[in-house]
Amino acid sequence: MSVPAAARSLGVRLPPRPSKLVPTITAIVVGAIVVLSTAGLSITWSDLLAIPGELLHYGRLMFESPDWDKLPRALTEVWRSISMAWLGAILCVVISVPLGMLAARGVGPAWLRYPLRGVFAVIRAVPEVIIALILLTVTGLTPFTGALALGIAGIGTQGKWVYETVESVQEGASEAVRAAGGTTADVARWALWPAALPTLASFALYRFEINIRTSAVLGLIGAGGIGSMLSNYTNYREWSTVGMLLIVVVAATMLMDAISGAIRRRIMEGATVRELGRIL
Amino acid sequence: MRADARGTEAGATPSASASWSIRLDDVSVTYRNGTRALRGVSVDIAAGEMVSVVGLSGSGKSTLVRTINGLVPVTDGAVSVGPYAVTGLRGRRLRELRGHVGMIFQGFNLADRTDVYRNVLVGRFAHTPAYRTLVGWTTPRDRELALTALDSVGMLDKLWTRASALSGGQKQRVAIARALTQEPSVMLADEPVASLDPPTAHAVMGELRRINADRGLTVLVNIHLMDLARQYTTRMIGLRAGEVVYDGSAADATDADFEEIYGRPIQARDHLGSAS
Amino acid sequence: MTEPAERLRIPPKPTHRLRTALVVAAFAAFTIATCLPAIGGVELDFAAIAKNWQNGAEKVGQLLQPDLSFLPRTIGPMLETIQMAVLGAAVAAVVSVPLTLWAARPTNPEGVTRRIVRFLVNIVRAVPDLVYATILVAVVGVGALPGLLTLFLFDVGIVVKLVSEAIDSTDHPYMEAGRAAGGTQTQINRLTALPQTWPLFANQWLYALELNVRISAILGIVGAGGIGRLLDERRSFYAYDDVGVVILEILVVVIAIEAFSNFLRRRLV
Repeated sequence: MSVPAAARSLGVRLPPRPSKLVPTITAIVVGAIVVLSTAGLSITWSDLLAIPGELLHYGRLMFESPDWDKLPRALTEVWRSISMAWLGAILCVVISVPLGMLAARGVGPAWLRYPLRGVFAVIRAVPEVIIALILLTVTGLTPFTGALALGIAGIGTQGKWVYETVESVQEGASEAVRAAGGTTADVARWALWPAALPTLASFALYRFEINIRTSAVLGLIGAGGIGSMLSNYTNYREWSTVGMLLIVVVAATMLMDAISGAIRRRIMEGATVRELGRIL
Repeated sequence: MRADARGTEAGATPSASASWSIRLDDVSVTYRNGTRALRGVSVDIAAGEMVSVVGLSGSGKSTLVRTINGLVPVTDGAVSVGPYAVTGLRGRRLRELRGHVGMIFQGFNLADRTDVYRNVLVGRFAHTPAYRTLVGWTTPRDRELALTALDSVGMLDKLWTRASALSGGQKQRVAIARALTQEPSVMLADEPVASLDPPTAHAVMGELRRINADRGLTVLVNIHLMDLARQYTTRMIGLRAGEVVYDGSAADATDADFEEIYGRPIQARDHLGSAS
Repeated sequence: MTEPAERLRIPPKPTHRLRTALVVAAFAAFTIATCLPAIGGVELDFAAIAKNWQNGAEKVGQLLQPDLSFLPRTIGPMLETIQMAVLGAAVAAVVSVPLTLWAARPTNPEGVTRRIVRFLVNIVRAVPDLVYATILVAVVGVGALPGLLTLFLFDVGIVVKLVSEAIDSTDHPYMEAGRAAGGTQTQINRLTALPQTWPLFANQWLYALELNVRISAILGIVGAGGIGRLLDERRSFYAYDDVGVVILEILVVVIAIEAFSNFLRRRLV
């Protein structure tokens, strides 16, 4: 090794280098997993070479002359998707914030926390599509079903974010309230809630952003919105309409992201200004 | 200009570069938000001097020290360091100049998650082409300089320690080693001891004075504490609201001079306290 | 006795009444607009819930009684799902490092390239995963390849956005030292910024892996490989007990991956 050689030529003694055993083993294990996964997949890797050509071909079919005649209908469908996303986000946040706070260490008792976290994990594992398919039997193949599915499916991840945020906000402020003689409820109201609020609001908006994408997915299975339109026209191989729809989806999503992102930044900046510090 | 002999035997201080003078000629700096940080400052520092810049926060000390290595652009006037005219330098030439100017900071500015060795290697940036850094390749000279610099500040036994595990005084010493690895001709220190307790502060100031004495390096220290300025530096420049209000011997500065610099009566917090 | 309020000059408490009122009004208006079917809103049909909730409960009941004899048939497709998830995350991880450093302001102060990279990544992120899958299946055919490509694009989008935002919102005081020493931004990034941001990356790569497993379970519905196809097939036969087995399996794998990734997170930071 080069550093010991330099040390020798200078005549100085070096401290021992810390053991690299654990990181090395971890790296080998991870590498092995990746290699095994690659080997196991039944893909003809030579197909990869053909892909750029194919993409170019279809890209031209889609974007050379997009079908703008269908734009008004596309815009209505976009609003439908956005509506599903919005209402779903509201439902999700309304349920997951109280439940998530209860699931946080330092707020809820252990016998409540673990089952709640378990429920979150189960909901997280069930794909939104399945939830939508079940709800279908209740409310039919409508955007309302989509909104409900988005709301319920999001509880899993959103709840996890809520209790993670509450836990990471805990230390200093909680200690102060307890030292002054506060109960758990006091801690929640005075220490946790104000500190966690900007982050939770930020996560709520982020849920809306995620939902916008997922609503297109639900549309693909028939819940309505731009996803349905996209699925139909892809099946009919009407590429010029598909191209137009892709442009609309990208533009709408980017616009919503930009607005939502700007609002989220404002919220977090406000938090720093109010000296609540950086929570994340 | 005091030049030091190339020392290659183990333990000798290998300061292979001559030390340079610093000159500010009617320098003014106005920030984009309109703040006038420096107003017509003219200062002539000879090579090998140990100078303190004293003033309250907001007096322009941080701006002044940063005009010397171009971290802050000058609005008016000229700055020169050794053979380089700093004003108007860009790109490769600017980096070349910075390679000759070592700087330590109040917040130490170490990469906390990395070990001391790699932190000190930061000092070799200007002397390494980018591709070598990308590949992680160091020359024997780089390694020698890094190890020697760490040894001279007594931090060699922490070579592989993560920077975050060090105390404030240790971090500042590592920062000094980083600066020394550059083989600098000038050493700048921006409030180097403001975050340290009194004994550690004295130790670090002593380190800077030793560097000035042993290597003949030009040292410029920003400081707001009177007793440290008097004790460790020979010349003092007092800044107040961006203007020079004192330029003379540090030891001869009276309490009245300091009140002039601070713009208010002297308070207890202007003294550090003794080393224990 | 003098009132304390007379002696202390208490500054007026800053109220943001106007701003709060505007925010609430905007929120309400937006929400109402989303409920109007005429312009494409959602028609809230609470009556249907009251009427039909038993159907849903029945299906959920069936789901909760999984038919475990179905398990052997699911192993192959589930394995494919996991493999797609791992490989997609791994390749995306490698590609995401330079892209992220280009997209964040502290590591790329140069505005033009930063904005271009951000813009391209935003476009990639704006397309939902299943849309990529649908179109890629039509382009390259059915199988695991379109699924892999979909996951790759999805992961790169997420990692670059989240990590570059995290880099933007943290302080990097060590960069001033690197600049003062005469380093280029590339040097500063390679030697100091990379190790400093490594936990941010590792965190997001693991998150991407978790997401991958969940998503790749669905991609099969449009033919992009994995267990999704089996899931959809069983559902179309109304064999909800088999669907229950598949969901259970997905659940187990997701929890296992989460546990593994939490373990790795502790080790890496």
